[in-house]
Amino acid sequence: AGGDGGSPVPAAPGRAQVFATVVDTFLEKLVAAGSYQRFANCYRCFYKLQPEMTRSIYDQFISQLQASIKEEIQEVKDEGNLEVLFNSLDKIVEEAKNQEEPAWRPSGIPEEDVRSAMVPYLLKHRSYLRKVLKEKEEENRKVAESVLTGRNRIAELQQLIQARKHAWQ
Amino acid sequence: MSVNPMAYEAQFFGFTPQTCMLRVYIAFQDYLFEMMLVVESVILKKLDGFPNCKISPFQIRKSTEKFLLFMKEHFDKLFSKMEEVLLQLVLNIPKNVLLPEDKVHEQYPYSKEEFQALQDEINQLQQQYRAEASAGQALRAELEEQKAVRAELEKILQWFDGLENICREHGTGNLKESFAFLTQNSKKLQDVLKDVEEKSKKIKKHDQLL
Repeated sequence: AGGDGGSPVPAAPGRAQVFATVVDTFLEKLVAAGSYQRFANCYRCFYKLQPEMTRSIYDQFISQLQASIKEEIQEVKDEGNLEVLFNSLDKIVEEAKNQEEPAWRPSGIPEEDVRSAMVPYLLKHRSYLRKVLKEKEEENRKVAESVLTGRNRIAELQQLIQARKHAWQ
Repeated sequence: MSVNPMAYEAQFFGFTPQTCMLRVYIAFQDYLFEMMLVVESVILKKLDGFPNCKISPFQIRKSTEKFLLFMKEHFDKLFSKMEEVLLQLVLNIPKNVLLPEDKVHEQYPYSKEEFQALQDEINQLQQQYRAEASAGQALRAELEEQKAVRAELEKILQWFDGLENICREHGTGNLKESFAFLTQNSKKLQDVLKDVEEKSKKIKKHDQLL
């Protein structure tokens, strides 16, 4: 977590931190509930017979239980890549902090949701088409000019030929 | 009571938060039971070393059950609280948050009609382009034709010019005029011939009638 150099305000704990704290608290309270007194009380007859053994069995039980639980949590974190995801989500939430309106959520209807995903491609396509259309129109304009010039020239030639023809009649 | 399926969270994390919690709950519970069984079997084994004591395995089992029941109750309560906090604060996406991968929905919230209009516009542009392309082809085809026609016409002009050059070279400067005079005369002759033919036909008829 962490503010920048000058600000003394501590940042709110990130998800990873909260996760760790919550798990630790759970374990603490569980161990507190399953106290040695409670254990010895339940196994009273054995306790009377072998108090040190009872203590050592209890200690092992508690430490093994804690270890197993912590291991399981670590496995879940590793498999799910949770550390990275928690930090990433914290960032995303922080960036959205000025958004008051509820954000978009999948509607459950793929045809509806895919529309917005396609729009950027369609917009690109449209601007490409506009560009090539303009270029084609410009190109054709120039060719059309040449065609008109050509027609005039041919008419000219025909007139010249007519003139010569008449001169020989 | 409506159950929040937390589908958006599942999209982000790759698993449903509730499923994750359930997996963890079952794992923890299994460890608890396992440990208790180990404790019980250790105690029973130790008791074997004391053949004179009056503690029966049945009593030990009862003790185990008592302790386990107690642990389970606390375990369930504590786990339930932990689950609540995790689902609300850690494994959740606040309502105002949009995942980066879904940005397009914020940027381009197109309705069905707007989307259709965009598609229609694109189709129209494509048609226009095709029309322009064919027009271009037609224009270029005409240009090619014009080239050929011009070449022919220029050939003819050149031929006329060539003729004039020959006349000039051979000093018969008025070949053109005499040629023109000749053409006109032969036309006149043809007209006169026609006239005479018609007149003679009339005379013959006249003769026959007489």
